[in-house]
Amino acid sequence: MSDWSQVTRPIPVPNEWTKPFWDAAKRGVLALQRCQACGHFQHPPYATCVNCMAIDLAFEPVRGQGTIYTYTIMYHAGDRRFAPAVPYASIIVELDDAPGALLAGNLMEAPYTEAKVGRRVEVIFEPLNDDITLPQFRLASA
Amino acid sequence: MWDQRCKIALSGVGFSKVTRSAEIPLAAHALEAVKGAVEDSGLQMSDIDGLATYPELPATGHAMVDGVTIVSVNCMMAMLKLPNLQWHVQVETVNIGGAVQQAVNALLAGVCNYAVVWRAMHNPKGTYQNLPGTHAHGATQFTAPYGFGGPGQGMAVAYTRWLETHNRSREKMATLAVTQRKHTQMNPHAYFYGQPLTREDYLNSRMVAYPFCLYDCDIPVQGAVAVVLTTADRARDLKPRPAYLAGYGQRLKFEVTGRIGSLSSYMEGGRSSSSLTWERSGFSPKDVDVAQVYDGFSASVIYGLESYGFCKEGEALDFIQDGRIELDGDLPLNTFGGSLGTGRIHGLWHIIEGALQASGRAGERQVKDVNVSFVGASAPIVTGTTFIFVREPY
Repeated sequence: MSDWSQVTRPIPVPNEWTKPFWDAAKRGVLALQRCQACGHFQHPPYATCVNCMAIDLAFEPVRGQGTIYTYTIMYHAGDRRFAPAVPYASIIVELDDAPGALLAGNLMEAPYTEAKVGRRVEVIFEPLNDDITLPQFRLASA
Repeated sequence: MWDQRCKIALSGVGFSKVTRSAEIPLAAHALEAVKGAVEDSGLQMSDIDGLATYPELPATGHAMVDGVTIVSVNCMMAMLKLPNLQWHVQVETVNIGGAVQQAVNALLAGVCNYAVVWRAMHNPKGTYQNLPGTHAHGATQFTAPYGFGGPGQGMAVAYTRWLETHNRSREKMATLAVTQRKHTQMNPHAYFYGQPLTREDYLNSRMVAYPFCLYDCDIPVQGAVAVVLTTADRARDLKPRPAYLAGYGQRLKFEVTGRIGSLSSYMEGGRSSSSLTWERSGFSPKDVDVAQVYDGFSASVIYGLESYGFCKEGEALDFIQDGRIELDGDLPLNTFGGSLGTGRIHGLWHIIEGALQASGRAGERQVKDVNVSFVGASAPIVTGTTFIFVREPY
């Protein structure tokens, strides 16, 4: 199991496109940008719908269940502040509710060797400070 | 087919010394390479009337100092004081291959006659990806908090996706690393010249970002390479035998900045770039005698071979086995050692080798009977460009 207790994560800085995502996460809700014209979910948020070119976009709550789309096991900490946690699993998750929108995370509460493409995961929330809460993932409870 | 095919040629090539760390300012390396290329063509500096480069340093968190960490067009103009300069450009979206393509376009447009393109690469002191900011801005706000930093992990996640969806084993990549290092031993300019690599070395090397071990990653170095491009008619009057440009292409797809993990974006980038090159040249993968495919990370070769059409999706690791990519194989690959052998100079060296093989100037590592020489000059996903050089105009 990777030891995250000594890791100080970089704090996300919301901007005009991404603020609703972080506001929702603070409430323990996963919300993704969705095109109100064609229904396409996209992540990271963008200025326009990259599926249909519409500009009418809104954040909508999604359920936090999905699968590991892919992952990497980090042995060499490019960011030295992650050195206490190596080796650790950085994963990319595709949510059931938002196919094609890929979210980064870490595989929490399990050995890094449990990361496999296709494995079921669910969202959990990790508060970083009073303002920012980070969506994270753990293996889905059966 | 492209009606401009074989109207432009790559003539002279030049190399600086490649060192692990920066012992002298990068501008001195760039100057050495450019002077070498001009001399190789048998030209004088006063003949050079076009300049192009892509100056980016792919490391993060380091100051950009012109002449020290990058070498811009302005820096080169200041050094060379070309009396007859007529045209220059510095590209951004398509890496060094894009600078070569812009030079080709300028030559075709008749706005210059002898263009020099260089790529100079710095290796900063300290950590290459110098990431530990306390805050994550822009696209990194969705990646850096999870310990994603630098291109290695972005490439690694796509490779994991490839390995596990195609049910393949990373051990087979040893063949690529070992074969390219073998080719490196015939390239005296390369960083790893004189240092062979065995299959055991590869399999026992430390993990960096699974599935990438140390030998899946090119080593950061300082150095520069350069070329002279000119019209075919002019090239025939110069010292070296020309390599004629039969066609080129660039990637035409881009996904939202910050989106990572998408294997399909590598494949779409490579397909869009290569399909233009095949169409313009009139050739297809089966016509290719020798190939250079960008290998900043080993897996780029896999995406390249598949998206350019040399083999089917999911088959590239099998395709490179059994001697196929050796100098006497069906598809000799990265015959100069690739970036894994030369060090991280980006794709201009791939373009140089493609041209040298086409013109029969590759020396000890020359592949027999080359006419069609293919180059994929950078990772297909973001900056992909592709080229075909030929020995005989058609």
